[in-house]
Amino acid sequence: MIEVRGLTKRYGDRAVVDDLSFRVEPGAVTGFLGPNGSGKTTTARMILGLTDPDAGVATVGARRYRDLAHPLREIGALIDPGGVNPSRTAIEHLRWLAAANRLPRRRADEVLSLVGLDGVAGRKVGGFSLGMRQRLGIAAALIGDPPTLVFDEPINGLDPEGIRWIREFMQDLAAEGRTVFVSSHLMSEMALTATELIVIGQGRLIAAESVAAFTERAESSVRVRSPQLNVLAAALADQGASLWRDGDVLEVVGVSIEHVGVVALKLGVLLYELSPQRASLEEAFMRLTADICDYVAGQAA
Amino acid sequence: MINSLAMEWQKLRPLHKTARTVLLAIALAIVVSALVSVAMASNGPNMSLLDRQAFDSVATSLQGVNAAVLAIAAFGVLCVTREYGTGMIKVTFLAQPSRLRVLAAKLTTHAAIAGVAAAGACLAAFAVGQALLGTAGLSVGWGNASLPAALGGGVVYLMLICTWGVALGAALRSSSTAIIWLASLLVVAPVIVQILPQHLIDLVGRWLPSQIGQQAISSHPSVHSFSPWTGLAVLSAYTGLTLLAGAWRITRTDP
Repeated sequence: MIEVRGLTKRYGDRAVVDDLSFRVEPGAVTGFLGPNGSGKTTTARMILGLTDPDAGVATVGARRYRDLAHPLREIGALIDPGGVNPSRTAIEHLRWLAAANRLPRRRADEVLSLVGLDGVAGRKVGGFSLGMRQRLGIAAALIGDPPTLVFDEPINGLDPEGIRWIREFMQDLAAEGRTVFVSSHLMSEMALTATELIVIGQGRLIAAESVAAFTERAESSVRVRSPQLNVLAAALADQGASLWRDGDVLEVVGVSIEHVGVVALKLGVLLYELSPQRASLEEAFMRLTADICDYVAGQAA
Repeated sequence: MINSLAMEWQKLRPLHKTARTVLLAIALAIVVSALVSVAMASNGPNMSLLDRQAFDSVATSLQGVNAAVLAIAAFGVLCVTREYGTGMIKVTFLAQPSRLRVLAAKLTTHAAIAGVAAAGACLAAFAVGQALLGTAGLSVGWGNASLPAALGGGVVYLMLICTWGVALGAALRSSSTAIIWLASLLVVAPVIVQILPQHLIDLVGRWLPSQIGQQAISSHPSVHSFSPWTGLAVLSAYTGLTLLAGAWRITRTDP
């Protein structure tokens, strides 16, 4: 289990991670979602003890990373596809890792065959494709058979076959009861891989809920087309609905479609269209983070 | 700490570029000692009795120490800088979150390997050098009274240089920057000092690592230099200060 409480990191004046709190539970793949530059990698690095937070605490199984005597047995991490001396062979890279946490030497061979790299154990990593390096990184993460795993953007630069392999691999790990925390900036990918979501924007928590609940929210938007949109929009906004307007089309989130119909009738507003929208998760994600992302909000205004 | 030592040892077990610099250092030490001894031996017939009395047979057959110094320093530097260069340092810190322990383990393993390599190189260089000097009657043999101090001095000198390399690698993080600094201090600085007026050479020269190393293997110490062990203490101070900078940077700046 991973727990983050009040985590904050500033670089100069800018808070890259701002009072962030969440929990990642075992037995599920939890997606860690946010646009590029939203603080995902910095958060992951603070969980892994590679960066010190300015405030707050991140714990793995109730202990801070730096207090773990054999960290690789508690948590495995894939943080970037590099991280390997290219003149070392795959098996050599895993052997020194095993030695570092007093793990039996055979673990290196075991995890290598687990990720399907046993055929290239003696080859230098410098000659590996990106997909093979990702697999080696995952093998390294698994070397201590840890109950918790953190993967930072594991599908970046992978081909479709590699993406599918990693997706299924992470789901299998979660099915074994492990905590699997995977960051991504692609909502569509997380919809396929994860069952739980933690969404951040500009270092702040936007949502922490199941993918199902998130999808529910995404589908509850209502599309309205009317020649008298101004009147209707003002009334709906007063009632706390979120609105996006594009010409004579209004998109409404936060109130039911029936409610929009009742309000329109009361105001005597003529409607050309009133329809439920099944926004894609990607759109829901964009909408959620757009509130937070000042550069996008600037365009919308 | 045992885990960190095991980690660093396991990293060195396959003989990679980094470890190969040690073999290079040993080879250079033996070859250069042989070359210097051959040159001296060929000059033997021209030497006066006074020359022969002043001749430092031990130091001559240990001249290779000066040739090995850059390779040994690079061996120390690379164990840190190559990890920063490849990003492997992050994985190292994931396996051992205490960065000072990682640094201590690197220092220990590398100084130990440098010590063993230096001892082997010095013994072999002395054996080869003495055999060659013997052809001109300039050898003193294994029973010489100043030999233990000279051998010990050479080994400690090379171990300190390796440690200095590790410290400099931690402080600078870049292979090229650290090696340029070392080459400047170990190779270029002595050349520059030589063009100074004599009284300045006498004043400044003693602080140079190369002169400290030369004194460490000499049986006739020069008056314008630190005594062998004082010199090595000065070199330890250089190493200690660099190590403080390295420890500060490795803990304060994230990889």
